[in-house]
Amino acid sequence: PPLPVAKPVPMAAALPGPRWLPAAAALLWACCGSAATDGIQDQAEQFFRSGHTNNWAVLVCTSRFWFNYRHVANTLSVYRSVKRLGIPDSHIVLMLADDMACNPRNPKPATVFSHKNMELNVYGDDVEVDYRSYEVTVENFLRVLTGRIPPSTPRSKRLLSDDRSNILIYMTGHGGNGFLKFQDSEEITNVELADAFEQMWQKRRYNELLFIIDTCQGASMYERFYSPNIMALASSQVGEDSLSHQPDLGIGVHLMDRYTFYVLEFLEEIHPASQTNMNDLFQVCPRSLCVSTPGHRTDLFQRDPQNVLITDFFGSVRKVEITTETVALDPNLVGLETRVPNDEMATEPLKYAEQLPVAQIIHQKPKQKDWHPPGGFILGLWALIIMVFFKTYGIKHMKYIF
Amino acid sequence: MAAPLVLGILVAVTVRAVLYRSSLAGFISERVEVASPLNAWKRVVEGLALLDLGVSPYSGDVFHETPLIIYLFHFLIEYSELVFMITDVLTAVALYLAVQDFNKVVFKKQKLLIELDRYASDVAELIRTPMEMHYIPLKVALFYLLNPYTVMSCVAKSTCAINNTVIAFFILATIKGSTLLSAIFLSIATYQSLYPLTLFAPALLYLLQRQFIPVKLKSKDFWLYTTQYAALYLCSLVVIVCLSFFLLNSWDFIPSVYGFILSVPDLTPNIGLFWYFFAEMFEHFSLFFVCVFQINVFFYTIPLAVKLKEHPIFFLFIQLAIISIFKSYPTVGDVALYMAFLPLWSHLYRCKFFVFDSSHPHPHSPWGTLNSNTTDVYCVTYTLYISLLQILLISDYFYAFLRREYYLTHGLYLTRKDGTEAMLVLK
Repeated sequence: PPLPVAKPVPMAAALPGPRWLPAAAALLWACCGSAATDGIQDQAEQFFRSGHTNNWAVLVCTSRFWFNYRHVANTLSVYRSVKRLGIPDSHIVLMLADDMACNPRNPKPATVFSHKNMELNVYGDDVEVDYRSYEVTVENFLRVLTGRIPPSTPRSKRLLSDDRSNILIYMTGHGGNGFLKFQDSEEITNVELADAFEQMWQKRRYNELLFIIDTCQGASMYERFYSPNIMALASSQVGEDSLSHQPDLGIGVHLMDRYTFYVLEFLEEIHPASQTNMNDLFQVCPRSLCVSTPGHRTDLFQRDPQNVLITDFFGSVRKVEITTETVALDPNLVGLETRVPNDEMATEPLKYAEQLPVAQIIHQKPKQKDWHPPGGFILGLWALIIMVFFKTYGIKHMKYIF
Repeated sequence: MAAPLVLGILVAVTVRAVLYRSSLAGFISERVEVASPLNAWKRVVEGLALLDLGVSPYSGDVFHETPLIIYLFHFLIEYSELVFMITDVLTAVALYLAVQDFNKVVFKKQKLLIELDRYASDVAELIRTPMEMHYIPLKVALFYLLNPYTVMSCVAKSTCAINNTVIAFFILATIKGSTLLSAIFLSIATYQSLYPLTLFAPALLYLLQRQFIPVKLKSKDFWLYTTQYAALYLCSLVVIVCLSFFLLNSWDFIPSVYGFILSVPDLTPNIGLFWYFFAEMFEHFSLFFVCVFQINVFFYTIPLAVKLKEHPIFFLFIQLAIISIFKSYPTVGDVALYMAFLPLWSHLYRCKFFVFDSSHPHPHSPWGTLNSNTTDVYCVTYTLYISLLQILLISDYFYAFLRREYYLTHGLYLTRKDGTEAMLVLK
């Protein structure tokens, strides 16, 4: 839901009173107005901090079977936070590989808990699962990301992002060095994932991408990314296992993984207007709590993580400002946020415009070449016709020509 | 005789022009009875558009016309309506001239046979007189021009009209006796759609008759002329096929045109007999049945040639009718061509078994919505019904013709040996 961060400008009300009151009020208002104008100028600058206009989330749980309850709970807790912070179901693609809530082994049907003693039911009553059970495959996941979907796919199963979308991709399950296991029968490798993201970049399907993975050796999955504007977080480094948090003796399984548990705790503090930035997210779950070392990767990202709000990815915060002031926009506001490069050469900020020369493609029309019958054919045909004509009607007509 | 013909032509052209401008034109071009995959106008336009885009028009299963049609319409596509009206007029004029000449021949032959005393004595009412034969050419031309079938296939711009024109010119050339032109037009007609190959036999018989060469297997003259005619025909066919190669520099058109006609891959309902059988058939048998059905078209040539060797033009008419009924993708345009000849044999009315008039019932609505099994059954029953009507019509004419010939030679009132009236039975 749009959250206007509005600063109401006091209106001069018509009050019965002494004559000087409206004038004084007007003066006061003008002063406030001028103070407010500067504030509005700041606010206007803030609009250009990030380049996105809509948010999407792709949340994937890849594990099947009852003892992988925690993976479903992980995904559902991220789903819950993302929905709470404003991303609507139409912009969330939720993929759950197994049904835990209605699993015959679930002693509390229609619930999925994330805290022991059943403190928090992350299943809720308005979950919309888009890809369920056996539909969660590597192929479907890659098709969702790249958009190469058969025409009969319903909208709820599509990632309809554009070049101004910020996408959150959360994956959880069992993984290893360089791969993630889907459904106990297939794997997606880090190279495939990197290539899928590159396809998305080339097709202008994202503005910025936040990739979070909670599996064993999760950092290996983001090693191979090479497309710009991707920030990645993982629950463990290569060679480490991600551990689960706590079992619930009533349900009989581990309910959550540690990393996501602390991320969920962190996200519960966030509300749509918070200014918490990514650096705080990087600090979530230190080694003492998580046993594994969470990792992150920001070298492909063009903005400073300090300036990236959590709500840029986890929420759908509309930048709406209601004002009656006139604001003069400074054209130099865009592109303020280049990070200071280190020793490497300062690469140009990557922009979509250079990817495909769209202007050239649009304005150049291929010339339609008309087909003409070959000269030999016409000659042969008419020679035959004339020969037959003269054979039938006699040579004597030739004298009229020559 | 020219004035009524011109008047008829003007009326026909006006009717077509009016229909072109009305909304019926679009409706009629969609009908399967009028436009088959071989001669639909939509496909011609599609093929030419593909050619403009630099793709061979024969790629994909869209275009099944011969390269000469490509050449013709490449320049005339904006005037397509005029072209089709002109082809109809040309067909009618060709038929008119052909029938005029043929009547003279018939009359001469009849005179000869009377002088030779070949006819029985009481057949005066069966003898044809110039009075009754005077209006036949006009009737033939008008039958063709004003036939609703012809008008429909002209308005739908089906290239069947062009095929009909070529066949009409072939008939004109044969009746005028020109071997070369007859062979050339026959080869063009065969090149366009494969079936006029069967018209080789009646044309040969007629030309032999004209040259007064008797059809005896031992006669040298007969074989000489036959080889001459066959050689002309085959050579011109080869020349035309090779010339078409040079239009697009590929032999693609052979599987697309002739392969398509012979192997019948398209099973959209039409007024023919092929589609329903092949829609239901198992793959295993389809080759066998394709061969059987195609042989069925060519099969009647030899028996008819043996029976009708004295009457080659009637043989031609029956053969045309057989082609239109049994060909792989018939349309009403083909039916219109042989129906145009019916006035030629109207003198057979006395001997006819059934009395038919030339209009068959038209089931329109079931073919419009082809989306249920019952519609399919309606389609096939109507198809079979129409084919049956046509076959009955042709066999009726055939029977009547033979009966007349019998009466002519054996007398009209047949008596048995004991004096009672006899019945003629076709064994």
